[in-house]
Amino acid sequence: MNGEIDDPVTALDAAERATLAAVADRLIPAAHGMPSAAAVVDDARLRFVLNARPDLLEPLRAALRADLGEDVEVRLDRLGRDEPAVLYALQLVIVSGYYTDTSVRDLIGYPGQMALELRSWEVPPYIDEGLIDAVLARGATWRDPATGARAVVADLPRTYAERFSDPAPTNQGGT
Amino acid sequence: MTAESADVLIAGAGPSGGVVALRLAQAGFKVVCLEQGGWLDRADYPGDKLDWELKARKDWATSPNLRGLASDYPIVEDDSPVSPLMYNAVGGSTILFAGAWPRMLPSDFRVRSLDGIADDWPLDYQELLPYYYRTDRQFGVSGLPGDPAYPPDTEDAPMPPLPIGAAGMKVARAHTKLGWHWWPEFNSINSVPYDGRRPCVQRSTCQSGCNEGAKASADLTHWPKAIALGAKLITGARVRKLETDAKGLVTGATWIDGEGAEHLQPAKVTVLAANAIGTPRLLLLSAGPRHPDGLANSSGLVGRRLMMHPFANVAGLFEDPLMSWQGQFGDLIESLEYYETDEKRGFVRGARWGLAPTGGPINTALPSRAGEQIWGPDHHTHVRTHLGHGANWGLFAEDLPDEANHITLSATVTDASGIPAPEVHYSMADNARRMLDFHIERAKESMEAAGAYKIEVDRLMRYSGWHLLGTARMGDDPKASVLDRWNRAHDVPNLYVVDGSCFVTSSGVNPTSSIVALALRAADHMVETRFEQQVPA
Repeated sequence: MNGEIDDPVTALDAAERATLAAVADRLIPAAHGMPSAAAVVDDARLRFVLNARPDLLEPLRAALRADLGEDVEVRLDRLGRDEPAVLYALQLVIVSGYYTDTSVRDLIGYPGQMALELRSWEVPPYIDEGLIDAVLARGATWRDPATGARAVVADLPRTYAERFSDPAPTNQGGT
Repeated sequence: MTAESADVLIAGAGPSGGVVALRLAQAGFKVVCLEQGGWLDRADYPGDKLDWELKARKDWATSPNLRGLASDYPIVEDDSPVSPLMYNAVGGSTILFAGAWPRMLPSDFRVRSLDGIADDWPLDYQELLPYYYRTDRQFGVSGLPGDPAYPPDTEDAPMPPLPIGAAGMKVARAHTKLGWHWWPEFNSINSVPYDGRRPCVQRSTCQSGCNEGAKASADLTHWPKAIALGAKLITGARVRKLETDAKGLVTGATWIDGEGAEHLQPAKVTVLAANAIGTPRLLLLSAGPRHPDGLANSSGLVGRRLMMHPFANVAGLFEDPLMSWQGQFGDLIESLEYYETDEKRGFVRGARWGLAPTGGPINTALPSRAGEQIWGPDHHTHVRTHLGHGANWGLFAEDLPDEANHITLSATVTDASGIPAPEVHYSMADNARRMLDFHIERAKESMEAAGAYKIEVDRLMRYSGWHLLGTARMGDDPKASVLDRWNRAHDVPNLYVVDGSCFVTSSGVNPTSSIVALALRAADHMVETRFEQQVPA
């Protein structure tokens, strides 16, 4: 892993920042009610990304270097052809800065990975709908090594209710 | 520096090492384990933080080559379309595994007898079943009993099933319509409080470590208990070589600490639990004058027959929101409809399907694994239509053993301790290719029946080598196998291998539940035969 620096944003000069904004606008422009990545990926977002992933700074600077010219399309084409890992780093920085922004998340209806409470005591809807019964009704489907054919099991439960009216010994909760 | 001798030395603190350590410590054995990684604090896992998707691509990536941590070793994989995945820490790859916990099926143990190809196992499903029950209780498994794709059980999963989500319901209804098998997936993830661990919160970040401790990882389920019973776990300890005596018995291991100092850990019995890349690497590194081709390798099969389950992904897109960024990233549901052989399909054996959540916005926005890139004004439409609107079938194809798929030691690449890195030589067989093609088409039919308006396919994904198997196979014939039916090396009577290396064939299911059941069976045998065990003087 690369060593972290105090403020990774300061490692980019004005020309590199301008190129980053131009590329960000090309990849994620303002459209369909969404802001452009250039407007969203400010110092704070860039700092967040590069603090989380200091290893991205070096390929990011490589992607923004002047010798790739001013034309964004040409820059992206050349990186895609000659330096795909560098292009990927550039895309990852822009996308990550954009989609970790709160207002962008609100606009796309994404609240983040939420902690939800399980309700494991409730009967699952697939049982209420009879979807398990449909599987059980087909009978055993495993291949019996003794015959090489589909297993035949006498008295296999054909409904969920039948299965649980005479349950197998259980170890619920035990270790 | 030489330490006090152990009764049993274990290399690797992952799930199989944890199972063996706990069983032996319970039986009063003096156990020492060497683990190259360290202990992790689940508060550090990125899943509950804003930078989750960023860090999941680097420090928490499943590929050691992408992570490049000091605890990792590089893997030379230029000669393989699939990258082996693993994690090196206390808990091993259970730190980052998804938690899906299917069992192998009865036919998986009899591939030669039933399909005339590969080999039979030296044991059968019924012999392993009691160990599945015990390890299900140890790790904590949630699931709905009664799946008719398996023989009837005498013991239910210890916890009720996890929810299958809106995506799972859609596909379950489709399979009912098609008359195809589906079942709520068994996962080693708590659906209720269990064994001192919290229930799942459906955050779906299982593959970056579980912040809740709800997913069973061996650092939580086994090592604290083994240590409480006296087992000694040394972290930051990289095994360089197994040592042997004139009788061909293993006398212990030489290992290197974080400062580069070399140590010797003597032991009466040695157990390798370092996964199907790390274990053959160690056996090959342990070559000596009496075994120039590597330890326990008179069969020539150490490192050969590597199997990794060729994997494809079939994603359906739906108009209605499914919130499919949430849910256990074990699996929601599975299908074994096309698991068993039907030669009319043009191949033998089959594949398991597992329906999984679809990830967050960064995953959605970046180029897909199939290389599709959507930029410009359409980017916003792409993200809105994909994020939370997808359902993914992951297809695990049975990988038949092939001696040409193998591990060697690199002549040029080493780890941070200067130990040669493993090189992976692997290609996908025609049978597996035909199998994946067939299953992709059936999975597309599944998604169409579920109402998907668009279906996207990723064929043979590179970063899919989660299931590392077969590089020190079991068998009754010492000329054709490395280990006997109890996981003991034919050549070295005080050496056991308990990780996925021992697999004879791969099956088409996620292997961790079978790996740990086999490990517990081996540990029981070690306890039962303790007074007959040959040990070095």
